[in-house]
Amino acid sequence: MPVLDPVSRRQWLQRSAVGFGSLALSSILADEARANPLSALAHDSDPLAPKPPHFFARAKRVIFLFMTGGPSQVDTFDPKPLLDRDDGKPLPFAKPRVQFNSTNNLLKSPWKFQQYGESGLPVSELFPHVAGCVDDLCMVHSMHGTNPAHGGAMMKLHTGSDNFVRPSLGSWVSYGLGTDNANLPAFVTICPTLGHGGINNWGSAFLPAAYQGTPLGNASVPSDQARVRYISNADLPRDVQRLQLERLKAMNREHQAVSGHEPSLEARINSFELAFRMQTAMPLVEDLSGETLATQQMYGMDDPLNANFGRMCLMARRFAERGVRFIQVTHSDSHVQWDQHSDLKKGHEKNAREVDKPIAGLLRDLKARGLLEDTLVWWGGEFGRTPTAEGTNGRDHNPEGFTMWLAGGGVKGGFRYGSTDDYGYYAAEDKVHIHDLHATILHLLGLDHERLTYRYAGRNFRLTDVEGQVVQKLFA
Amino acid sequence: MRQVLLIGMICVGSVGSTSLHGSEAEPTAEQVQFFETSIRPLLIEKCHKCHGAEKQWGTLRLDSREAVLRGGDTGAAIVPGQPAESLLVKAISHTDDNLKMPPKEKLTDRQIADLTRWVALGAPFPVATKSAAPRTRDPNHWAFQSPVEPTVPQTANAARSNGPLDRFVLAKLEAAQLEPAQPASPRTLIRRATFDLTGLPPTPAEITEFLQDDRPDAFARLVDRLLASPAYGERWGRHWLDVARYADSNGLDENVAHGNAWRYRDYVVAAFNRDQPFDQFLIEQLAGDLLPAEDEAMRHRRLIATGFLALGPKVLAEVDESKMRMDIIDEQIDTVGRAVLGLTLGCARCHDHKFDPIETADYYGLAGVFKSTRTMDKYTKLALWHENPTPTPVALALKATHDEQVTQRKAALQEFIERGDAVVKATLPEGEAPPPKFEDKYPDSTKAELKRLREELTKFEKSAPEMPSAMGVVEDAVVDVAIHIRGNPLKLGEVVPRRVPLVLAKVSAPKFAAEQSGRLELAQWLTQDDHPLTSRVLANRVWRWHFGRGLVRTTDNFGLLGERPSHPELLDWLARRVTQRDWSIKSLHRQIMESQTYQLDSRAESQLVERDPENRLLGRADVRRLEAEAVRDALIAVGDGLDRTLGGSLLTVKNRDYFFDHTSKDLTDYKSQRRSLYLPVVRNNVYDVFQLLDYPDAAIPTGDRSTTTIAPQALLMMNSDLVMKCSSNLASKIWTESSRGDHSQRVTFAYVSVFGREPSAGEVASALAFLNEVEQALATGNVAPEQHQRRAWDSLCHVLLSSNEFIYVR
Repeated sequence: MPVLDPVSRRQWLQRSAVGFGSLALSSILADEARANPLSALAHDSDPLAPKPPHFFARAKRVIFLFMTGGPSQVDTFDPKPLLDRDDGKPLPFAKPRVQFNSTNNLLKSPWKFQQYGESGLPVSELFPHVAGCVDDLCMVHSMHGTNPAHGGAMMKLHTGSDNFVRPSLGSWVSYGLGTDNANLPAFVTICPTLGHGGINNWGSAFLPAAYQGTPLGNASVPSDQARVRYISNADLPRDVQRLQLERLKAMNREHQAVSGHEPSLEARINSFELAFRMQTAMPLVEDLSGETLATQQMYGMDDPLNANFGRMCLMARRFAERGVRFIQVTHSDSHVQWDQHSDLKKGHEKNAREVDKPIAGLLRDLKARGLLEDTLVWWGGEFGRTPTAEGTNGRDHNPEGFTMWLAGGGVKGGFRYGSTDDYGYYAAEDKVHIHDLHATILHLLGLDHERLTYRYAGRNFRLTDVEGQVVQKLFA
Repeated sequence: MRQVLLIGMICVGSVGSTSLHGSEAEPTAEQVQFFETSIRPLLIEKCHKCHGAEKQWGTLRLDSREAVLRGGDTGAAIVPGQPAESLLVKAISHTDDNLKMPPKEKLTDRQIADLTRWVALGAPFPVATKSAAPRTRDPNHWAFQSPVEPTVPQTANAARSNGPLDRFVLAKLEAAQLEPAQPASPRTLIRRATFDLTGLPPTPAEITEFLQDDRPDAFARLVDRLLASPAYGERWGRHWLDVARYADSNGLDENVAHGNAWRYRDYVVAAFNRDQPFDQFLIEQLAGDLLPAEDEAMRHRRLIATGFLALGPKVLAEVDESKMRMDIIDEQIDTVGRAVLGLTLGCARCHDHKFDPIETADYYGLAGVFKSTRTMDKYTKLALWHENPTPTPVALALKATHDEQVTQRKAALQEFIERGDAVVKATLPEGEAPPPKFEDKYPDSTKAELKRLREELTKFEKSAPEMPSAMGVVEDAVVDVAIHIRGNPLKLGEVVPRRVPLVLAKVSAPKFAAEQSGRLELAQWLTQDDHPLTSRVLANRVWRWHFGRGLVRTTDNFGLLGERPSHPELLDWLARRVTQRDWSIKSLHRQIMESQTYQLDSRAESQLVERDPENRLLGRADVRRLEAEAVRDALIAVGDGLDRTLGGSLLTVKNRDYFFDHTSKDLTDYKSQRRSLYLPVVRNNVYDVFQLLDYPDAAIPTGDRSTTTIAPQALLMMNSDLVMKCSSNLASKIWTESSRGDHSQRVTFAYVSVFGREPSAGEVASALAFLNEVEQALATGNVAPEQHQRRAWDSLCHVLLSSNEFIYVR
């Protein structure tokens, strides 16, 4: 199976007589290249060339809306009548052996729930706009993880491992499928947080560097200033840069002629051409001026509270339609945004207010453009929160049971899967571990999580290690 | 109900008796037939996928009678003749939620009945199904045998050999009927050797000097000069720091500063510079705290060396303390395994190693050594790593002065309180009980004064001079560790006395004393001359760092999944030289660099390239991109901007403070002009210039950095402040130093500065044409006219510094 062979730089350069040189060609042609059999040769040498999936792919790309800090399941999408009834009473069963902080008695949700759409899925007052899209949402209420601290949980969520540095999900997906647009990275992450794992959460670890996520800004940078590093040069006029590249290419060719055999010399020559084109392609994605006012409003960009996250969501759509494979959008201010150890009401209200409209806008926009069919949208945090009170009005971290939702990309809409116990503490029925979700997401993309392996330090690694069950019941 | 049904079915069974029980009596023909038709196919189809030759989930195999009786993590799979007592029967009945097999589908009632009956029969397992011959887990694997002195082969062409090293290489080339490339030119050689040993480009003056040296040992002299330069330790120390997963921050979840890690870094650099015997170097890193010291300096140095064990990334907010403790031990075992032995010992934490003959018990034998070692002072979040004090006399004196002042201030405060109390006492009305705290009765002004004094004292106490200390380990209570079944700290098996892996214990295994952790014994055992792995792994690392590829390409894995050496005899010969020459690394450098193999040209006959495209036979030199640090250092050095100060810390974050907590603001500054070695290595956020240029992940030992070629690297060269600034500095230098020359002379000066050679006439012409074109292009823009010429020169320098000739060494 050549597609998923571990491809070292040496091997892939060697396999093609023309080396990296053809990458330039394949990327100019971008989408056309896929249809053109003449450029098939080129793909062999390009680590990011599109690769066929293992089997039928329901989704072609992923947009992950990451809510840093851990939104509370019992206050958003998983209503618990008994929690209301027993407010202030002790939890009638044992708390986990390992907890992050200690918590007190049960704390009912300050928000009311209501059923929406044809499916009648319940959503709390926190998400009035997302509530309007429930018939497209596939709720997984029985998510559970292993780590109750932000760092471990975030790494587990992004990489499948909380104590080793491993490739992130987006890197695995880029490795497995390549990208449809060689002028853009396969995996971008918009305003990621640098804490709690930092680059490890979008790093490629032992996978080749071509598969690492490309960050645009970070969580402390407003999204309208989020840029790919070194993408532009204010001090160098473009025509001068063009002259430089011509001179550079001529010098490199002369050097190549006297240096002896080394394929990466050719690769490096062409990497400059590709870089030059990326400089053009990236600003086009970032420039939202071509979007209609109506579209911008749909994402809430006319509202200062929504503008920052709305812009990220809109950029995510623009990356998606240009063939970027994995797009992560992080909702985090300079603190762990959804981490309401206290003042749950104030904090969650502010957070939900910031993201609700942009998320609904993204879902509607994708749907209107026919992109939702093959774009998997995924929402959630690194864990949920305890139904018991931390202090008087907060909730602690809870990896034992929480809700994430999926939309589009071949999942059932208006569907609830799994459940937590009566109080929303532990995942109860049809439990879905983070490994299972990873396996399921790969499956939706047409990748078998047990076959998507990479040989490193003498053994085959995979995202799900020795775990992971595909949750078939989520599929439309 | 189900139980009843099963028993009913057993009773129906009429074949044989229960006489087999535990013994392995010959099965009857009837039993054989029953087994072969009903049991074996069932085991193969339903069980062996997870409990067979390939996989042994729960360490259980079901492919031989012995294996079934031995059982797995939870005990014997069956009790022959006793189905009701047998775990296997319980598992297939799906009556226990925690023990359901097969996990995803229940067997048919018929199958359950058959297996139950088979157990009742005493589990006859008629066959030659001895487990498959072990291609994995082979104790006779080459790397587990001590190196022996190989016979140096005879080669046909004596002129192409400078000694045994070359003859090992030539023999293979000759066997393949290939000729090595020609020797490289002196100009190529000095650039290669200088980058190799110092990570810096040779200066034009150094090049001239070398080219003019026509003594026969000119190259050996060059090597000596380079080895004597402090830049050598900065370069080769950095190689070891890759293996030691050195970092100035913890990384993982809580990215706090390793504020004192730099002492370990400086220790490593110094060790390479003074050519400390590598065995001593290793012993200090594993057990420096247990070695005697002649003086304070030596004692500090040895404490600092143990930073090697302490530098790993740790989940400092891990809530499960017992897990954290075992995770840290695991990281230490894994690091020592990869770095020193070239083995992935970490695998054996949860199960016997799948491929190497390393058993779970071997792992926990080592775990005892590290559990008897103190790495942490506190495991509760936020966990606190241990640091050993390394006070200097100056620091001690400052501390003493400060302590004295604290004592004085405390006394003054006490006096103030006593005075105040006396006043209160004196004014206390007769008969009234004294208040619990007299100071509650102080007049407001006195209260305010007291508050001020207390605050002052606290502030002063906090301003205590920081005492030098170093991350490192010391001894802890000596314990042996029980096997953690499947790595779970809550599921303990038998206790394993501290020991080294049995497969390696052929070389006089150490005896671990009851009163010491055993690190010293472990370190001494690792560095025995006949240890099969340590000297080989080292020789191979050094080779890798010289040539870009090891004789064993998997530098950190010499196990069964590692690659075999391309030149096994050469590897052993080098390993033996290491031990015979007192583990001197500099001696090994000379051995390698003075060979013809090292000095070959990168250009070769097309036949050689075609037949050996990967250069496995070493018939030519590889053309290699510089590593991240060398790229940056060279960029800065050619503009004369490199600050060559040695050692010390550039961290702007205090020890144990966060680089990023919940905020993503980057607190690190990489503007320094010091060598790259000294820039902070922040896990989770490595300097982006380095990140792009394949800097290793500072969380795991790396002996074989990768080299990728990706477009973001080109963006870095085209647009980064670093490259723009270096280009402009170089242009300034050219203008200053060849101020009286014309443009052609300046171009020549630029080529000599950047490439160490003069340009051809064609290259000068092209460069001049380029300068013109840029000036014209600038004329249409908004750059002031008087700047055009200078900007054109910046542009030319930018091109030269971006070129392959500058970024690659051949």
